Amino acid sequence: MRASAAETLPRAFTILVTATAVLAPLSLILYQSLLNAPFFDARKAIGLDAYRFIFADPDFWQAFKNSGLIAGGMTLIAVPLGGLLAFVMERTDLSGRGWIEPLLLVPSFVSPMVLSFGYVVAAGPVGFYSVWSRELFGGAPWGIYSILAMTVIAGLTHVPNVYVYASAALKNLGSDVEEAARVAGASPFRVAFSVSLPLIMPSLLFSGVLVFFLGFELFGLPLVLGDPEGILVLSTYLFKLTNKLGTPSYHLMAAVAVCIVAVTFPLVLLQRQLLKGSRKYASIKGKSGRMRELPLGGWKWLAGGVIGAWIFVSVLVPLSGIALRAFVTNWGEGVRLAEVLTLDNFRSVWEEPTMMRGIWNTILIGVVGGLLTVACYTAIGFATHRRNDGWSRFVDYLVLVPRAVPGLLAGLAFLWVFLFFPPLRPLRSTLFSGWLAYSVVWLAYGMRLISSSLLQVSPELEEAARSAGAPRWRVSRDVTLPLIRYGLLGSWLLVFMIFEREYSTAVYLLAPGTEVIGAQLVSLWQGGAIDLVAALSLVNVVLVAVGLGIALRFGVRLRD
Amino acid sequence: MAELTVENLHLRYGDNPILKGVSMNLDRGEVVSLLGPSGSGKTTLLRAVAGLETPHEGAIRIGERVVFDSAAAIELPAEHRNLGLVFQSYALWPHKTVYDNVAYGLRLRKVPQAEAAERVGQVLAQLGLGPLGARYPHQLSGGQQQRVAIARALVYNPPVILLDEPLSNLDAKLREEARAFLRELIVRLGLSALVVTHDQSEAMAMSDRILLLNNGRIEQQGTPQEMYGSPRTLFVAEFMGSNNRLAGRVAEVRDGRARIEGEGWSLWGTPKGETAPGREVNAVIRIEQVKLGDGPEGNRLRLPLSTSMYLGDKWEHLFRLGATALRAHGTGDLAPGEYWLEFPPDRLWLF
Ligand SMILES: Nc1ncnc2c1ncn2[C@@H]1O[C@H](COP(=O)(O)OP(=O)(O)O)[C@@H](O)[C@H]1O
Ligand SMILES: [Mg+2]
Repeated sequence: MRASAAETLPRAFTILVTATAVLAPLSLILYQSLLNAPFFDARKAIGLDAYRFIFADPDFWQAFKNSGLIAGGMTLIAVPLGGLLAFVMERTDLSGRGWIEPLLLVPSFVSPMVLSFGYVVAAGPVGFYSVWSRELFGGAPWGIYSILAMTVIAGLTHVPNVYVYASAALKNLGSDVEEAARVAGASPFRVAFSVSLPLIMPSLLFSGVLVFFLGFELFGLPLVLGDPEGILVLSTYLFKLTNKLGTPSYHLMAAVAVCIVAVTFPLVLLQRQLLKGSRKYASIKGKSGRMRELPLGGWKWLAGGVIGAWIFVSVLVPLSGIALRAFVTNWGEGVRLAEVLTLDNFRSVWEEPTMMRGIWNTILIGVVGGLLTVACYTAIGFATHRRNDGWSRFVDYLVLVPRAVPGLLAGLAFLWVFLFFPPLRPLRSTLFSGWLAYSVVWLAYGMRLISSSLLQVSPELEEAARSAGAPRWRVSRDVTLPLIRYGLLGSWLLVFMIFEREYSTAVYLLAPGTEVIGAQLVSLWQGGAIDLVAALSLVNVVLVAVGLGIALRFGVRLRD
Repeated sequence: MAELTVENLHLRYGDNPILKGVSMNLDRGEVVSLLGPSGSGKTTLLRAVAGLETPHEGAIRIGERVVFDSAAAIELPAEHRNLGLVFQSYALWPHKTVYDNVAYGLRLRKVPQAEAAERVGQVLAQLGLGPLGARYPHQLSGGQQQRVAIARALVYNPPVILLDEPLSNLDAKLREEARAFLRELIVRLGLSALVVTHDQSEAMAMSDRILLLNNGRIEQQGTPQEMYGSPRTLFVAEFMGSNNRLAGRVAEVRDGRARIEGEGWSLWGTPKGETAPGREVNAVIRIEQVKLGDGPEGNRLRLPLSTSMYLGDKWEHLFRLGATALRAHGTGDLAPGEYWLEFPPDRLWLF
């Protein structure tokens, strides 16, 4: 089909801009990693010095090992637990599932920085729960500053990532296979482990790979819980490298970044292959549409107990810790809650212009930035919608690339882009830099939202417009866009929450004028300003909660 | 004059050939049905004509205009073909009112507001949708939705309108009314229409000419009478009506007739195509052509009655011939026993 220039130009432009935004920062990282000094240094030269240096550093290998341990361990925790929760929520008659569901998703909407901080103030050596436990039972038999604790916490807080895929797959499974096992005498949990979960193995595998590479990207958690004991993982190793040689060690950071991407990118590609496989699988198994809930009977206590325990540990403990800590002056052994209650922490935030600017910027980047981002994602969606050519496949892969780049690295890469290209320098100290980095980092997530909306539009509705005489752009404007408008509003809300939650991407982009809560938390935590961290964390949680409340009120689907 | 000409169209999905050289034409003011079993490629052909699928060989002309020609590398996009297309699912835009659905084609053609309003009003009235303009598609019944889809395709006066199984989404009772309505509308407005259907009675009732598509090829085309009354292949004979079918061997050929024999029976029939003694053939006769006779005279067999079924307007009797069941219509019930069945030789086709 010979398309006119009016049709191809906007598409070519969209693809070009997307490709630039995704590939320029990555190329810059790769380039920087092959230099022996920062790129602005006049004495730079091409070479492998940076790799030689980090490969000779035992800390690097220790960090690598820790990352692998944590990633593997948290996968082993998150996958079975996520699968089990999905089974209970999706296939059984447990009561209260309506209000449990949003709670199950909370950890994926709260900043890991905030959650980690929550664990410190709730369950750390002098945390609320530790102190109370010692007062009541004479001991608090847990510690949070160890690899094991980090693994367990990371595993528990990544349960939602497994849960969403597992429950989507379970929805497609006919209930007759479960009933057959039940009739043969299997208990509900037996049914889950011997029938339902094996049948959704492709989805579990897919989410297992997801959790594993998310493990390599962890930053907030090891920063807060690993640092006090000197436990490094790859991202915190990179973060601490900044001034290892006395001067900015950009080349070393780039080399570490390349190593991280070298681990995550193959996993992202693997994940894509698995997704294709699981779709095929689902469509085979999805035939029997009849769904019947499995009666739990007496097992409901166990099921309810598992869910309750998970919610307590993964949601209530950290969030209540933050909420309490934000309203006290200090806390420790022998302190009486009633005597330390205060609003001073919020007063300090209120009086500090950079904090207020951070809050304002965070709202701005979520609301206005989120809208612009959804508009951009929609444009990309339309560039590939119903076109099955090489360019569409290119974009499909392109949008996956940022998935493999942890936010911390992406922020660093964008910082370099803004420094490297002089015309862009003025934008560096505006919120635009952060917005661009956010939009690229969340590209894969956002495109899934957009394309699931687009997929729901029946092709015939568009074809009807074309045969009535509408050129492609008018089909998009008059038919497709109006039909997906609710989906887009929902995406805007989800992107808002994601942007409120984001922290690592903004760490390196933090500058006067571009403060956002997430990055401020990192820098305040580094400086030990616990009171401010507590207050800002609570503000951050409230912002996300507002988004979540609106989403629930209007029935926005919280997962695609 | 041909409004639509399709020449030697080939189309495949991947390696899977769907259309294997289809040629057809549609004259002005004619209603042609594209008939065939499900999966035979009817929708694909219609979509290729509309410009929604790209054939890899062949040519399509609308009037004098070449809209597709693989040899000359011409392919006009769907929006420039100016055809009316009615989808099987109707594909009404759920976010537009009935009026806006219908008016969209005029808006695209930059017809002034006032004139557009008049034309939409006119076509809605013609289709009996007069007062429904302000409704949304989900507020309409199935029959009304179907008529909106037709109105939307008619409003800009396309030279040809294409309808993909326009009746299949209606329930049985409504379908017969809609069939009559559609035929009457097409004739009254003098439209040239290509109608896809998998239902032979629908095709016969609605069209001037039928194209029977089988496995990507046109098996036979002709008027409904020709298709029903003189099928050229077993497939056409089987597809166009309800038949009795007997397998046997040709025993002798004489005067354009042939005698076919089976186990313990023998009948005269009319060979369709070449035949010679000894050849295995299928004998096919429409159920309504089998008569109950009163004696052995003529082309008859004496068979035991196995059961009778009351169908309301007639009875259907089931007879047994070895392992085969033979059906015949009658006006009343029959007592158990054996009966003479007559098979008029010119109605018993041998394939
Ligand atoms: N988009 C497609 N991709 C692959 N095969 C298809 C596609 N659309 C239709 N087919 C196949 O082409 C054949 C003809 O389909 P279709 O034209 O819809 O048949 P009909 O309308 O006569 O029932 C079917 O076997 C169908 O499976
Ligand atoms: Mg069809």
